[in-house]
Parts: sequence; structure tokens; C-alpha cells
Amino acid sequence: MNFPGFILNNTGLVYEYTLNHIALVVTVLVLSLLLWTAVGLVISRYDRMAEAVIGLGNVVFCIPSISLFGLFMTVPGLGLGRRTATLVLVLYAMMPLVRSVYMGVKSVDPAVIDAGKGMGMTGLQVLFKIQVPMAWPMVFAGIRVAVVLITGIATMATFIGEKNLGRLIHQGITRGNADMIFAGAVIVSIIALLLDHIMGRIQRKIISPGLRFQAGEQ
Amino acid sequence: MIRVDNITKTFPGAERHAVDRVTFNVNEGNICVFAGPSGCGKTTILRMINRLIEPDEGEIFINGENARTMNPATLRRTIGYVIQQIGLLPHRTIEQNVAIVPGLLKWPRDKTRKRVLELLEMVGLDPGEVGRKYPHQLSGGQMQRVGVARAMAADPPIMLMDEPFGAVDPIVRVRLQDEFLHLQQAFKKTICFVTHDINEAIKMGDYLVILNAGRIIQMGTPIEVLTSPADAFVRDLLGDDRGVKILDLTRSGSLMEPANALPESPGRNGCTVQAVQPVKIALEMMMKKNADQVGVCEGETIVGILTWNGIKEHINRVSGDGS
Repeated sequence: MNFPGFILNNTGLVYEYTLNHIALVVTVLVLSLLLWTAVGLVISRYDRMAEAVIGLGNVVFCIPSISLFGLFMTVPGLGLGRRTATLVLVLYAMMPLVRSVYMGVKSVDPAVIDAGKGMGMTGLQVLFKIQVPMAWPMVFAGIRVAVVLITGIATMATFIGEKNLGRLIHQGITRGNADMIFAGAVIVSIIALLLDHIMGRIQRKIISPGLRFQAGEQ
Repeated sequence: MIRVDNITKTFPGAERHAVDRVTFNVNEGNICVFAGPSGCGKTTILRMINRLIEPDEGEIFINGENARTMNPATLRRTIGYVIQQIGLLPHRTIEQNVAIVPGLLKWPRDKTRKRVLELLEMVGLDPGEVGRKYPHQLSGGQMQRVGVARAMAADPPIMLMDEPFGAVDPIVRVRLQDEFLHLQQAFKKTICFVTHDINEAIKMGDYLVILNAGRIIQMGTPIEVLTSPADAFVRDLLGDDRGVKILDLTRSGSLMEPANALPESPGRNGCTVQAVQPVKIALEMMMKKNADQVGVCEGETIVGILTWNGIKEHINRVSGDGS
């Protein structure tokens, strides 16, 4: 087996695919965080919507990715390429993100919220000074799941025209080239681990040391 | 200071009223204790005063102003609030926790910081040691102290305390009670205090409100309630040692026979109590010294004598009902 050799012999191609892969994942991550955090916060205040929204996230998550890519590709205005890939991956990120934001906000000790209200915090102050900061450990757990997930599923976008590391894996399979498959898989894994590591660093900055013991550190 | 006028509250789906036509006043500088079994409505009453719960009927006046007409958040910032679970914000340091209400009131930073340090010292914590710590690094007793300091941060004239010392062990609880009474002597806050512990109620209260099933059963000073319980429920709540509790609240000076009426030198066996000390202490002295009387002093001067028979007669007079 000589997948490092494959990478060295095809640096231009591998480089292009890797950058494309990272660009797609980062775009999806940014959009997902903005969208799904907001949705998670909203449903944490309107319980009646919560069940439906989380249910929808679960359903989407259960659809095989290849069929979802294929399905959205046929929608007029989406077609082959980055737009469809981004949309589908954002939908996949819904389940872990919405759920973790919702659960994080909901799992805040009611006594702390009661104390906050009793001291004269408004509803929004309770949300942003108590519920959100206390939800961070759970939210970050969700974000890190989503990051690894998106990086993996992004490989499937190769079938709708994305020129990313999925292409190495797909072509490796059709050609029976194990080195090619390995090269794609290993780089995808490294990207996932790297992004996860970066998230871990951010997490340590954002989560208060007062909550560290909950986040399973120290 | 606080006037509660005929308030009633029924929670959705409940069979009976949680609070049923309750009326009382709390005078300025007093500790008013609400006592009763769980589910008697005491916490609900407390939470209606700062509008965490809205009464279905009736009005609450704070300093003559109807609470309904005030903005709830603004109202709550002027009322200290301490709960049994304390509810410290785990992601904020102790200093930041104490600074919450000053922060909501937009105090200048230096003023807040000075106040926070002063408060931590006041409740017996070393600001240098605990100020930068997070709540989970503190003991239960320390957290309760922080809870009290936090409630007093913006110097609110009124404080609501819901079993504030309920979550600590009995030894720490007694110490916190004593310290709080000591603080109260200096600050004279108007306090509504909820407890299910009748001993705590008698100890802390200038005034007791005994509740059962949402209704007020009896109101009065601790000694009034102890000497003439309204009914069997109150008698049960007070316990079988009502007489002893009375002795704890009765000053030795009030039961003594004045020294000039005595045939012989009163302090002859050398055991004396101060006139302001409770009769219980005198009783303890008698038992220790195997005597049936003790001398009562004011400072160094013997002013009277307290006899075993005198105490017995007093108990019989105030609580003797044949039961």
C-alpha cells in the first residue's frame, strides 16, 4: 500500500480537492451555526414548536445522504454543484445542532433561572446571561458532532458534481485503486480531526471554568 | 411596608386554592416568618410579593404602592431574594454573582466592586479567597452566605427569604441564623421569611404567620403564638415542648422575684444568670448545680432570684391546659 505516494504524485489534484472540501465544510458550518442556533433558541422559548422541529431534524437525518443529494439536485434553481451540496449538508447538521441548543437551554437548573428572575432579570436577560452561557457545554458537544458528520457526508457531494475528496474515494472504488481510496479517506479524517480540535480550542475559551466540570474536563 | 390584602391564588388544575384570602402586614424592620407544612402556600405568598406569581385576586402594596402597577423586573431589583437552592450562576465567579443586581441597575464599576468586597466580608467570607472562585468550588455554607450577600447587594429595603438556610447541616444552619440575626440588628431590613422548621420560625421571627392549606391559621409574635395557640393544628406544629420553647423566649428578669423582697442573700450558691438571658439558661444552671434557684444579675449587681417553683408556675399559667 502506498497512498502517500499517490498523494505526492498527484499534489495538484489532491490540493484542489482538499481545498474544495474544506471550503464546503466551513461554509456549511457557518450557515448551520447561524441558522440552527437561532432555531434552537426560538423553540426553547416556544415549546409547542419544539417537538415538530426536532422531529423534522430527525427525519432528515434518517434519509440516506446520497438520495437527498439526488433529490435536491432535481429542484429547479439548485441543480448540480455547490448550492445543492451546501443546502443538503446544512439540513444534515440540523439534528445535532438544533437538538443540542434546545436541550442545552432546557437543561439549565430551574433554581438558577428562578434566582435570575427573582433578582429582576428580564426574559431576554435570563436567556443571554443564564441560559445560553450555561448551555454552551451541550451546544459544543452538538457542534463537534456536526463538524465530524458534515466533513464525512460532504464526500457524497461528489455525485452531484462537487470536486472534493469524495471524488478520490469514488474513483478509487471504480478503478479498484486502494491507494486512491486511502488517500481520500485519510485526508477526510485529518480534516475532521483538525476541525474538531479547533472547536475544542474555541470551546475552552468560551465555556466558563465554572462549568468545566460539566463539560467533562478536569 | 408590605401590605397584603385578601390575596387568593389557584394554580391551573388544582383542586383547592394554593393561597386562600390571605391578609397581613409586615412592618418596617421586622422579620415576618411564614411557617406551615409543605403545600400550605407559604412559598406562593412569598413569590406573589415580588410578582414571580401573580395573585388571582387581591392586592399587594409595597410602601403604599400597588405592586400590580409596577414593572416586575424593576420591582424585583428593589427586593432581595434568597432561595433554598441558592441559584448561584455556576458560570460566574462569586464576585460576579454578588454583582448581578448592581449590574442590572447599571451601577458604576468601582462602586459595584467596592460594594461586593464589603458584602463578602460582611457575610463572613474572605473576598481574596473566594472572590475569584466559582460556585462549585464552595461548600454549602459558603454558598448560602454568597446567596445572602447577593440578595443584599443593592441594599434593598425588603428581602424575601425562602428557606434560606435549608440546604446546610444543622450546625452550620444555627451559625448562619445567628449571624443573620446579628446583621439584621444593624440593617433593620423588612423581611419575609419562609420556613417549615418551627424552631427556626420562633428564633428568627418578630412576627409569625402560621399557614395551613392556603389559609392563615394564626398570626402573632412568637410568644403570643406559643402561649395561646389558636387550635390543635398550631399546637401540633409547635410540638410537645411548647413550655420549654416559651422559656427560651422569656427573659430571666421577667420571672424573677426582686432582690429586696428576699429574706436571705440571693446569690449564695454563686450561680447567676443575666436578666436578659432566657429562662432556659437559668434552668440549665439549676440542673448543673443541682440547685432550685439562681441569682439574676444586671451586670455585676444581683437584682433578683429565679426559683424552680416560679418557673413551674409561669409555665402552668401560660400554657397549662391540662394536655
